[in-house]
Amino acid sequence: MINRREFLKLAACLSASFGLSNFPTIVNAALKKIDPKTIPRLIYLQGQSCTGCSISLLQAESPNAVSMITQYSKLSFHADLSATSGKQALNLIEEYISGRAGEYFLAVEGAIPWGMPEACVIGNKPFGDYLTAAARTMSGAIAIGTCASHGGIPAAEGNLTDAVSLKEFYKRKKIDPLLIDIPGCPVHPDWVWKTIIHLVQVGLPELTNGQPKSFFNRKVHELCPRYHDFQQEIFAEKLGDKGCLFKLGCLGPDTYADCPTRWWNGGQTWCIGANAPCIGCASPQFAAKKIFPFYRAFEQAASGSSEENK
Amino acid sequence: MKVDIGPVTRLEGHLSIHTTVENNIITEAKSVGEMFRGFEVILRGRDPLDAQQITQRICGVCPYAHAIASSYAQENAYNLDVPPNGRILHNLIQGPNHLYDYLLHFYQLSALDFVDVTAILGYQGSDSDLTALRDWVKVEVASKSPFPAAPFLPRLSGKYLSDSEVNIGALKHYIESLEIQKKANKASAIFGGRFPHATAIFPGGCTQEPTIDHIASYRSLILEVKDFIHQKYIPDILAVAAEFPEYWNIGQSKGGFMSFGLMPFGPQLDSKRLFAPGVLFGDKISPVDFDAIKEDVKYSKYSSPSGLKIKEGELTPSPHKSEAYSWVKAPRYQGKMLEVGPAARVMVDYLQNHNPKIKQLVDKFAGIADIGVGNLNSVLGRHLCRAISAVVIADFLLEETERIDINGPHMAQYDLPKSGVGFGVTEASRGALLHYVNIENYKIKKYECVVPTTWNCSPKDDNDQPGALESALVGTKVENPEEQIESNRIVHSFDPCLACAVH
Repeated sequence: MINRREFLKLAACLSASFGLSNFPTIVNAALKKIDPKTIPRLIYLQGQSCTGCSISLLQAESPNAVSMITQYSKLSFHADLSATSGKQALNLIEEYISGRAGEYFLAVEGAIPWGMPEACVIGNKPFGDYLTAAARTMSGAIAIGTCASHGGIPAAEGNLTDAVSLKEFYKRKKIDPLLIDIPGCPVHPDWVWKTIIHLVQVGLPELTNGQPKSFFNRKVHELCPRYHDFQQEIFAEKLGDKGCLFKLGCLGPDTYADCPTRWWNGGQTWCIGANAPCIGCASPQFAAKKIFPFYRAFEQAASGSSEENK
Repeated sequence: MKVDIGPVTRLEGHLSIHTTVENNIITEAKSVGEMFRGFEVILRGRDPLDAQQITQRICGVCPYAHAIASSYAQENAYNLDVPPNGRILHNLIQGPNHLYDYLLHFYQLSALDFVDVTAILGYQGSDSDLTALRDWVKVEVASKSPFPAAPFLPRLSGKYLSDSEVNIGALKHYIESLEIQKKANKASAIFGGRFPHATAIFPGGCTQEPTIDHIASYRSLILEVKDFIHQKYIPDILAVAAEFPEYWNIGQSKGGFMSFGLMPFGPQLDSKRLFAPGVLFGDKISPVDFDAIKEDVKYSKYSSPSGLKIKEGELTPSPHKSEAYSWVKAPRYQGKMLEVGPAARVMVDYLQNHNPKIKQLVDKFAGIADIGVGNLNSVLGRHLCRAISAVVIADFLLEETERIDINGPHMAQYDLPKSGVGFGVTEASRGALLHYVNIENYKIKKYECVVPTTWNCSPKDDNDQPGALESALVGTKVENPEEQIESNRIVHSFDPCLACAVH
């Protein structure tokens, strides 16, 4: 058994060898202890959304969703989880948005139908009206997922509602709130929850293009474990092949996200790991144009397979 | 008196119910879908292979069902030769999506209609989850902050379960189920690539190989989920049923029932399925005829023609159309209203004596609860039929893993045609799901989705017949007409998904 004295000596050696001798002091200075009284209250509203981001948030591993909504934040309203309903729910939302219930962050999932306000209504009031009113009282807003961050599929070419992102909505309303975009279709739970932990313990995280830099600083392609295949020109020729998926239309080279190092569903799988080309779901251009299909080289894939059959 | 009980929470999306209440009885109910995106128009002119990705974004709760229906429709349009592994992998991806969804629906979406959350304050035991929850609620309530213990409070007034042990057990399972649903989703993501919104599903199979590594992880996860279903989920439903037996008779829809059948046993789409398809009116079951489906829009916010067949579907939004009260269309079968979902799926199979396991489970639980098959059309019946589906699906997935040929192909080879049409049908967790694709010059000319909640939460049709949910609400006695916890229980039993319904 190692005694306390030996342990401290060993710990000191380890700290020195890793250059971490000042680590505890830095941590104390940077990370605030969580004060239950000051953790942010979240009012989570859904616009033109599919709820996929909310479902993704429930897939969080460490910390899990229950810890996140009790220890690191307070989920004051979420249409999928709140016990309250109907007028009681509208009253709760109104108390916050009017400023009477104290400070809160607004979390928004989904796009906003700028050209057809009737296409998204909560309690007989257009969704956009809540966003405009909240801008006067909220501490800030978090756009959750690609629809809220960039417009996403509701805003894709040919859409009938002139759907826009939260940032575009506020821009058109000439409002400039504190806004963090966290794209992804769906969003990765870590991207949202760990941004919230950063807000609680450190403050606003560093942003790049309005998105937390720690998750969206590098392209999928740069981080991809199949980058070696790309360099060696080992390409998948048809769907289901291994190798670099570039020729099948992989959008990793155009997409900022840390999926290749973070992985999904508890760090167990991710798209390219399952031989599925990245479809650029965190990109502002996701699904935007009809002339850019997800599998833009599938004709090549088809001819590749017929070559094999020859 | 007129009372809007929307926004109804603990369901997917934007639903209100406009009720008329006289002497505490609901005399009229209008199901109001309040959000529209227009997927069928967005899909036009796109590559057909985009469809199984785009249509998953109709719904992030049951995306895999859309991916499967779209893949089937494309297989049909392409005349694809699907390898046996391809179909098995589709089933292995789709099945756990049902399991997670049933657990999410019972614990997170429905349980708080019955379970008394405040019972946690009296908890005396030493379970760490429960002591943490108790202490958290205590601090919240003592803090005098606005709306303490949200999202679990405030809640609607009404009767909740009285047995504190049952309440505390259910709360423990509420927390545990959040861990278990992740395991179901991890299982399907092994082959789907991730959950929600799988990228590895394609017409004709899946891009992930079925290795022993993957299959062993998959089986282990499904076994854990199966254990929870048997040990916790089913006993909790029976505990709710024991204290609320009147809900075997509350919330009955007043039309027919339809199931498209779930999970084919073979690569061909017309292979026998684990759950049999069929349409049920009275006690008569007939095969499904897609041509008998028309969508009415008299009360829906569209100016496109009413009563169109699937192949003719059109979509022109008209938000200010007079008389229209919902973005949901009103699909009808031979002009008649029907309910889809777990109760329809189980009854349609049971009455055809198709799957012996389903028959055995229905008979067993009908005996325990002292009910008849007709009582499956009720609030508790829908909950029970989800549990029955869960048992049957979990066992099937484990068997299906043994049928994989690990050396066989897992994807079909594509030679995409210039044109083609195809139907794809399956059972989403919420019921019968249909996709239709018409391809012209390598692009989507028309794409139509008829989705479970489109049936269940439809407004009135051109003949003023109410939708399934509307019909189930009418006649219900409500203690507090302003809040209507009884109506909330009925709505939740259908597990509405409005993003699906309108799409």
